[in-house]
This record gives sequence, C-alpha cells and structure tokens, in this order.
Amino acid sequence: MTTIAAPLPRGRPRGIDLSRPVMLGLAAVLCVLIVLPVSQLAWHAVVDRDGAPTLENFRRLWSDPAFVEPMLTTLTLATSVSVACCVVAAPIGWLVARTDLPFTGVVRALVMASFVTPPFLGAVAWEILAAPNSGLLNQWYRSLTGAGTDEYLVNVYSMGGLIFVIACYTFPYVFVLVSNALDRIPSDLEDASAILGGRTWRTAARITIPLALPALLAGGLVAFLQAMILFGSPAILALPAGFHTMTTKIWSLFQYPPKPGLAAAAALPLLLITIVLLRGQQWLMGRRGYTVVGGRSGRPRPTALGLLRWPALGLCLAVLACSVFLPYGALVKTAFSRVPSQPVSFDNLTLQHVRFVLFEFSGTRLALQNTFLLGVLSATLGTGLALVVAYLSGRRAVPGHRTLAFLATAPVSIPGIVLGVGLFLSYTRPPFVLYGTLWILLIAYITIELPAAYQQLQSALKAVHPELEEASRILGATRLQALGHVTAPLLRSGVIAAWCFVFIGTMRELSAAIMLFTADTKVISVVIFDLNESGDLGAISVLGIAMLLITFAVVLLVNRIPGLGGWRPARPGG
Amino acid sequence: MASVELAGLTKRYGALAVVDRVGLRIEHGQLVCLLGPSGCGKTTTLRLIAGFIEPSEGEVRVGDRLVSSAGWAMEPQKRNMSMIFQSYALWPHMTVAGNVAYGLELRRLDRETIRRKVQAMLATTRMDAYADRYPADLSGGQQQRVALARALVVEPETLLLDEPLSNLDTNLREEMRFEVRRLHDEYRYTTVYVTHDQAEAMTTADQIVVMNAGRIEQAGPPEEIYYRPRSEFVAQFIGGTNILRGKGLDGRHLSFAGRALRCSGADVPAGGTIAVSIRHHDIRLLAAPPPGAENVLEARIARQVFLGSVRDYLVEVADGTQLRVVAPAEHSIESGSPVWLHLPPERCRALAG
Amino acid sequence: MHGTKFTRRSFLLASSALGISVLAAPLAALPAAAPVTPQLIEAAKKEGKIVWYTSVDLPLAQKVAQAFEAKYPGVSVRVERTGAERVFQRIGQEYSAKIHAVDAVNSSDAAHLLVWKREGILAPYVTEDMAKNYPPEHVDPDGMFASFRATLSPIAYNTKLVDAGEAPKSFKDLLDPKWSGKLVKSHPGYSGSTLTATFQTARDLGWSYFEALSKQKVMQVQSATEPPKKLSLGERAVAVDGVEYVFLQLIEKGNPIAIVYPSEGTPLVVGPSAIFKNAPNPNAARLFHSFLFSRECQQLIVDAGGLRSFHKEVKDKEGRTPLAKIKLMKEDAEAVEKQVEEIKSKYTRLFKV
Ligand SMILES: Nc1ncnc2c1ncn2[C@@H]1O[C@H](COP(=O)(O)OP(=O)(O)OP(=O)(O)O)[C@@H](O)[C@H]1O
Ligand SMILES: [Mg+2]
Repeated sequence: MTTIAAPLPRGRPRGIDLSRPVMLGLAAVLCVLIVLPVSQLAWHAVVDRDGAPTLENFRRLWSDPAFVEPMLTTLTLATSVSVACCVVAAPIGWLVARTDLPFTGVVRALVMASFVTPPFLGAVAWEILAAPNSGLLNQWYRSLTGAGTDEYLVNVYSMGGLIFVIACYTFPYVFVLVSNALDRIPSDLEDASAILGGRTWRTAARITIPLALPALLAGGLVAFLQAMILFGSPAILALPAGFHTMTTKIWSLFQYPPKPGLAAAAALPLLLITIVLLRGQQWLMGRRGYTVVGGRSGRPRPTALGLLRWPALGLCLAVLACSVFLPYGALVKTAFSRVPSQPVSFDNLTLQHVRFVLFEFSGTRLALQNTFLLGVLSATLGTGLALVVAYLSGRRAVPGHRTLAFLATAPVSIPGIVLGVGLFLSYTRPPFVLYGTLWILLIAYITIELPAAYQQLQSALKAVHPELEEASRILGATRLQALGHVTAPLLRSGVIAAWCFVFIGTMRELSAAIMLFTADTKVISVVIFDLNESGDLGAISVLGIAMLLITFAVVLLVNRIPGLGGWRPARPGG
Repeated sequence: MASVELAGLTKRYGALAVVDRVGLRIEHGQLVCLLGPSGCGKTTTLRLIAGFIEPSEGEVRVGDRLVSSAGWAMEPQKRNMSMIFQSYALWPHMTVAGNVAYGLELRRLDRETIRRKVQAMLATTRMDAYADRYPADLSGGQQQRVALARALVVEPETLLLDEPLSNLDTNLREEMRFEVRRLHDEYRYTTVYVTHDQAEAMTTADQIVVMNAGRIEQAGPPEEIYYRPRSEFVAQFIGGTNILRGKGLDGRHLSFAGRALRCSGADVPAGGTIAVSIRHHDIRLLAAPPPGAENVLEARIARQVFLGSVRDYLVEVADGTQLRVVAPAEHSIESGSPVWLHLPPERCRALAG
Repeated sequence: MHGTKFTRRSFLLASSALGISVLAAPLAALPAAAPVTPQLIEAAKKEGKIVWYTSVDLPLAQKVAQAFEAKYPGVSVRVERTGAERVFQRIGQEYSAKIHAVDAVNSSDAAHLLVWKREGILAPYVTEDMAKNYPPEHVDPDGMFASFRATLSPIAYNTKLVDAGEAPKSFKDLLDPKWSGKLVKSHPGYSGSTLTATFQTARDLGWSYFEALSKQKVMQVQSATEPPKKLSLGERAVAVDGVEYVFLQLIEKGNPIAIVYPSEGTPLVVGPSAIFKNAPNPNAARLFHSFLFSRECQQLIVDAGGLRSFHKEVKDKEGRTPLAKIKLMKEDAEAVEKQVEEIKSKYTRLFKV
C-alpha cells in the first residue's frame, strides 16, 4: 500500500460522522430507561407464574369489584382535582400576571413553596389539621361553637378531603402554565380590543382569557394526570377513609404473597388513559390557531383592579393559606409539641422530636445523604440527557429525532408506582441486577423527571432561533463551538430551571421509591412514609421541615451561581 | 478569486422540490439578487450556498472548489462566507462590540487587531456610539447595521444576505439599500442578496435572478429584466405590466380588440394565442385619435387615481379588457370619457410560452 | 465461609475454657448454646454495624439499639422499622434479587419465621439465655428463632371520650351502634400483629364478627402501632385492636387511655427474632441476637416498651395486669401461615381497603 490513498467517495464528509453513534447511543439509553420497564410490565401482565400466556389478570381486573371500584374512585378523584385546580389557579394566575395586584412577588413565591412541598407531607400536615376529631381546625371549631365532641367542621379522611389536599399541591402546575401564557400574550392584542371600545373587564373576558385557554386546558390535563398517578396522599388519607385508589391498590398487590402480574395488569389502564388524554390534547390544540401567543411586544399593560385589589389579594392568600400557611404551621407546631392535638403551651413544648430525628433515629443520616445525592445526580444527569435530546430533536440534527422526542416525553404516561413495578421486574435479575443499589432509584428518578426537563429545555431552545447558531457557524465556528458560545449561554436560565425542577421532583418523589428502596437505599420520602405508618407525627414534621429547608437551600444556591442574570433575554428582529 | 457557481442545484423535502435544478454562475465581486415571491425557495437556495443544508442533487462550487454535492456539504465554517439572516440573529447575550468581534476571535487574531477592526467596522456602519449596548436595546435599523458589521468584519469572500431590510421602515430601507451597495463596492466580495422587493433588487443588484416555485425564471442585469422580460411571470413580478392576449397574425402582429398590433420580442406564430406585455407607463393616452398611427386602440376611462407625481388610470377597450395606464398628473381625464391609447410597437413585448 | 469457621473455633475455645458443659441442651435436637465471647465482640466490632429489620415501634427499637451500642461501643445498629408484613415483603423482594442487606429480623407475625426457616435462609443460633431462661416452646427446636417479645392485641379507649362504665367489655360490645364512627383499627395487610389477631379472633368468634364490625364505619390505619396513637390524639374514642405495648407506653406517659382485655379472650401476638445465614455482618448479628435475649434487654423492652417477655428472670412492671390474669386466645403460627392469603382477601372484601 504505497500509492495514493484510495479516493474518498465523492461528496462524503471526511472525519467521522458523529450523529449516527450519538443518536444510536441515546436511543439505547432511552430504550433502557423507558422501553425495558414498560415491556417487562406488559410481559408480566399476560403470563402466569409459569410463564404461560394468560388473560386471567385482565379478566380479574374487569370483573372484580376490588379493582373496578378503585378505578372509578381514581377517575372521580382526578377529574375533581383537575377542575378544582383550574377553578383556583386560573384566577390567581390572571391576577398575578395581568393585573395590578399588590405583592405579586410574594404570591408567586408562595405558590412556588406549595409546589416544592411534597404532596405526602402536605397530606400528613392536613391530617394534623383536619382529622375529624383530633384535627386542630376541628378542635377550634368545637371550642368556638361549643359543638359536641362528635361534630366536626372538616374531615380529611374522606373523598372530599383527599381531593382538597391533592388539589392544594397540584394547582401550582396550572398556575405556572396559565400565568406564563398570560405573560406572553402580546399587549397589542388587548389594546386592539380596547381601541374597539372593549372595557377593561370585557377585554379580559373576551380576549385575554380565551387566549390563555389552551394553557388552562393543558394545566387541567397535567393536574388530572398528577392526581391520577399520585400515591402518597391517597396512601395516607384514603386508607383511613376506607377506600382504595388505583395506585394504593397496585401497591397493596405487593403485600405477601406479591402479585406482580396483577399489578402490571392494573397499571395498564392508567397508562392507556394517560396516552389517550395526551393525544386528545394534541388534537385539540392542533386545531386552533393558538400559536399567536408569543408575538413581540412590550410589557403587558396591567388591568386596574381598583377597589378590588385588596379583596383579590385576600383571595390569593386564602388559597395559599390552605397549601402553605396552615400546613406549615401545623408541621412546626407538631415538631415541637409533645401531643400534637393539644394547644401550644410551655408544658407541651419539647425538643424531643428534633433530638429523636437528628440524633437517635439511625435512619436519618443515611436517608438524608441518599436523598441529597440522588437529587443532585438525577438533576444533573436528567437535565443533561434532556438537553441533548431537546437539541437533537429541536434542531433535527439527526435522523430519527422524532422517535427520540417521543421517547423523552413517554414517561409522562407512566405513573411512578407503575414505573417502580416495571423497574423492579427489570432490574432484579441478570443481566441488570440493580435492585438494592442507588442506581435503580437514579434510573427511576431520571425517567420520571425526563419529560418535564425535556419540555422545559425544548421550549427554552425554541426561543433560541436556529439562525443564532447558524450565524456563529458561518463566521467560522464548528457545531460544538456554536453550541458553547451561543446556545449554551442562551439556554442557561432554562437549564437551571430544569435542574431545579428535577431536583425538587426527586425530593417529592415517593411512588417509585416505595417500590424500589432497600435498607441501604432509603430516601427521606420513604422514611416519612414509614413514620406515618406508625403514626410518629412529630418525627415526620421535623424531617419534613428539614427536607424543605434543604430543597430551598439548594434551589437558592443553584440560582445564585455567578454569571446569571447578566443579560436580559430578548429576541432581536422578528 | 471566488466566483460562486450553482449547477443543477436541487433540494427536495419529501416529494416536493423546493429548489429545482437551479443553474447560475456569479462572477467574483458581483452583487446578485435572488428575487421572487414568498415561498419560492430563495432562503433555501441561500442556505444551500452557505452549506447549512445539503443539496438533493447538483453542486455548489466556490472558485473552483466543490463545496456541496448531492447529500454532502462542506461545513459552513470552512467556506469563508458571511451571512445576514432574516432575523439578524444577533446574540442577545453579547454586546454590539462582542457580536462584531466574535468572528475575529474565532480566527484567533490578537486582541489589539480585533479591537482596531471592530472599531473601524463600527465606524463604517455608524454604530461606534453603541459598542457597549446589548442588541435588545437597539432599534431595528441599528440591529441591521450591527448584523452587517458582524458579517463584514471578517472580510468574507462571499456575503449572503437574506431579506436583510424587510423589517425596516421605508425611509430606512432606502438608506440601507445604498449602504449595502456602498459596502459591497468598498470591499468587493461576491454577494448574494435575497429579497422579494423588486425595487430593492433594482437599486442594488448587478444581476437579478427571478425565481418562481423553485426555478429560475430569468437572470440578467436589471434593465434587461425590466425591459425584456421573457415570461409573463417576470413581466408581472417586475414593475407591473399589462398582458394583452390575442391571436398571432404573422411573425410581428397579433390581433387584439379588433385591431392588429405590431410587437417586438419573441416571434408571434401565426394562428396561435400569444401574450404581449406592455408596461403601465409605456401606453400613451390621447384625447383624440392620432391620424394614421399604428397600434392605436379606442377605450374609455373606467376610473382614475391621483398618486401625486402621476395619475393611475384604469381603461377599458372594445372587447372589455381592462388595462392600467400611468400618465403625467397635470391633465386629468374624467371617468367615462373616451380616449385613444397608443401602444408603441417597440414596447409591446411578445412573451415566449 | 470465613465467618462460620471463625465462630465454630471461638465457640469451641469458649466452651472448653469455661467448661460450660451444663449447657447440654434439654432438647436433644437443640444446637448447643453459644456464649458471648471476647472474640465474638472483637469480630463484631470489626464489622462495625448491624442492620436490624423489625416491626417493633420505632422509638422502642431505637432504645434497644442504643442500649446495645452503649454496651458494645463500636458496633452501630441500623434500625429499619416497618410493619411486619412489609418487612416480610421486603426481605422476600431483596432475597429474590439476591440482595443480602439484613442481618437480624424481628417480626410480629410468627408465621414469617416459619416461611424463612423453610426457605433455609435463617442461621441457627442459640444464645445462653435462650437455653437457660426461656421455656422450650419459645425456642425453635432447630434453634432458628426464639420469641423475642410478646404482646397482646386488646381493646382500648380514650378515657376523656368514654366513661369507664360505658366502655366496651368484649369484642361483641363493639358492634353496638353507639360505637359507629368511633372506632379505629389497624390492617392485617400491613401489620403482623393484626394479622395474627385477626386470625385468632376470626377463629374464635367467626368471620361474622368482622362482617358486623365492617359496618361500624371503622377508621382504618395501617400499622398496629397506630391505633394507640390515634386514640391518644383523640381522633377516635375506641381502638378495636392495636398492640398492648404501645398502649402501655402511652398510658404510662400520662395519656388518657385505658386498656380492656375482652371477655372472649385477648389475642396473643408473639414476635420471634432470628438472624440470617447470609447476613452481611454475621458476628455482629450474633452478638446482637445474644443481646436481644439477655435479661437486660428483655427487662428494657418490658419496662420502657410495655412488651411481654418469656425470659424467666424478667419482672413485670408494677401496675400492669400480669399475663397470668388475662384470658388469652391461643396462638397458632402454623395455621396463620396457611391462611394468610385467605385472611387478607376476606378482610379486604369486608373493609374495602
Ligand atoms: N425544512 C423544511 N422542510 C420542509 N419544507 C421546507 C423546509 N424548509 C423550507 N421548506 C419549504 O420550502 C419552500 C421554500 O422555502 P424558502 O424558505 O426557501 O422560501 P423563501 O423564498 O425564502 O420565502 P420567504 O420570502 O417567505 O422567506 C417553502 O414552501 C417552505 O415551506
Ligand atoms: Mg426566506
């Protein structure tokens, strides 16, 4: 081989084309993350213990009232929560985004606080507040009205109570979607109505609110799905109330002797409902030209509320009292009380729970450590993965990018508890034996949070016009340089938001963890759940408060990383 | 130095050929305008030249280097080109000076040189006062000039502009047209300029390439395109025109509204239907029939509009065809009055196909 | 099997040194009792920790752990506390995945020990106390487990909400409509004590009792340690079940609770302990096991925990009703094990959760 090298095929690029390996590698990662557990579920649902095909599981599912009832309960619950969230969040979103409501910053921060609160912690707090007899609210009610010992104002151990408590910690999703959409509606659209003679209220009713409708719809859907797949709150509140939801039912199937096949079969309806709903939403959104939202314009002109400003603020604070003030008050009180149901007094004051959790209880340190480690790792890896997928699909950089995008959003339709089952089935036997390690929890968290991170980064990437990158490339930058110099800095706030989102999600997550933890891999949410099982409210309160402090500290820290906020995001040109 | 040559250039999305067998040679130092209606494939052609997308068929050569061929494109950063985007694509996180300096930094010039060049370029584009501003704080025209400065400071061999003036108001647009031309003349790079505004093309281009539905309809210097459009599309698109349809009588005449009209341009085949184009201001309006003149038609004024320097008439000839005529503003002819139209034979261009 | 060899050697050493041939087991099959030797303590310290899965109330479990840590500094105890049924489920899950995380276990459902013994995952280990101070029927003939604790599943009421005269005297009394909506009860799906109690009650009173009870709007909680807590909060007036030791702890802390030993007999719940063959910390597990059955620890769980002990030298605490004076239901772990699934599914059908 001495002569000239064989001529390169004409028109072939020199050097290796990295897009194919990258694509394949990512597809493999996503398949392992998503396809593996789901296929394991599907497989176990249709075979019996000896591996012979059977439809017995499904037959039982449809005929046994022990499954039909929880299904109906779950649907009622999810629908009610969704409606409640929309009814509460839409007005608050509008007030905050579009009116001259005072203290909007405070309101937004408090909504964030309710978002950060794990739903199961909220449920415990509301147990302390609204258990029919020992609940603080009911005690006050009785002492104020002189009502008999059997009478109560509110009962958290009921369907209504469960709906209320779930809605308290789900409405922030709707709020964020609605207020963001309202923030982005160009004020010229409102001005156009005003110029035609539309008065303030009329403009709001005819222009602003209809334009925010798709966001509201999307929010309602998210709330529905969240309520449907939630495990912690029903496990804490529904059982004492005497009913099951699908998630608690699936969980109970793992009592001895475990019935993974039945659990898998029971999980599939949840999956189907989610997929149908998401499709329906796409169809509904695709039909109307709602993409107007996102034009260029100055700051929206706030609607003047006039005398209604203060009552409006009162309304917001009343809602936030339910999700933040009252529950946290109850937790703090319980953390430092001997008997949580007795009034605050010097006698009743104690540090015993703090001491117990921090110094005596041997599980605390490990769980804190695990939770923190998993939070940081899942947030970092999950955001990284989501970023790559968002970039490849957003810029259509590789063939098959659609499939990637689909895989990255697919976990939305997998309830945590179902994913937990699937992962358990997948990773307890060779070739992947990960059960018992933190890896399996990491995989679960990344999978669960991937869609949210992907969505966030995808929309952040949309705001970065591809021409910004191309402008850099034509001036001599390679793809990577363009990414580093232009895309990355412009995405930074989006990336940080996604990171925090995943981190918070990991701290809140209980449903998959409850299936996957072992002694060495316990996380705080599971510890809290265990403590609740034996009724140790004081310890739960201390742990819950500690967990929130950590979450807040991390989120604040991440947002303070130097170099942020140096520029105002803007879209030059059209 | 670097001419740009497109040969059989085709880009398909699915079955649709968005750019269809485009062949074009641009000499070094020329400014060529790609002109055509929205969606005709101008941007796509430009992006093919830049190397952001690969052709489905055909080639792009710069100088005598092959830079794109079917399914392959040399990476954009290796082409020594610059581009100004429809959206300007200024980086919002960098100052004006930062934006302009970026290309030079990629070329690893030393700090001092970069500073000097940026300074000079900002002065040329009259943006030196804004060096430390962020793009979001600039007006559209200023942003446009920063985009220009950023593209030019690297002294590219080829400059690509994609409707750079479409976001500007009329006055600024006219001013910037000459600016683009001035800078082009100053630096003498090869420029491909995309626009759908014919006046912009007329005033800036050495060559105009009229595109329609992915194909080149006609290419040539502005005057040729204007005076000798080869197709109805070009005639209509450039400057506005009247199209007269009639039966060919012999090589030079056609029958229209009961008269024989002599025309120039392509041959008029006897017996076939043919289209003839005559521009609005090439038709003369006469109050009385001129004795013995050829190419005169009787008509009535349907309506008239005063446009300041001229009047725009709509007239109707015997067979009901309406024609537009632009005449000096001084004399007004009332609606409904009979008039005579003189269509000078050398202005009546028979169109091929 | 490094650990096994080591122990056998240390055991031989110890027994010959101390000459405790007296310990020759009263039952022929029972393995010889192993004393706590300095070597064992040393080896345990090397391992440094022991993981204990238990269903005993968490604060009490922590007290036991701390007492052990105080006695043997350098060996820390990690307490993993959940309901017995979940402990069982988790060990099953973990062992099926070949994860050996647990060293020692204590369950309130004696049937679990039978299953584990049958599966061959327990390690035989007879401590000196077991051999000397325990009734033979409370030590497994193969030395695989022994009764670490016992408790009852009585009825209890909140004395502020219910007068002593009004209080129920028997299980049947609970079916009185006046208790509708005032009862709290734990769940056999989660709690081993409750499973055992449910078995005994259903056997002695029939399932018709539970059927009637399910119509009383019972508040359903998971663990058998929870009804006492709900009672002390005043959330419900009467607890249908719940473990006696938590009731006793709360009463002795001054909570307004009174226990009723029902006239039909009170379910007896024995909670055996065992160590695992594949324990990650085998020596620490043995040391811990020895400690659990020592007089010191047994007295602790009686005094501080309110549990019942079978240790001969352990004294009941003042003011508690001695076991001898209570009519007990008969314990039958083997029958429980056979009926687990049936009990749970019947219960779920009745109580809907
Ligand atoms: N990536 C793509 N996939 C499919 N179709 C495309 C793609 N890019 C462009 N097209 C289509 O190709 C046609 C030409 O697009 P192009 O952007 O080149 O038009 P243009 O002449 O620049 O129009 P305008 O003046 O509006 O900018 C359009 O019909 C467009 O929809
Ligand atoms: Mg274009």
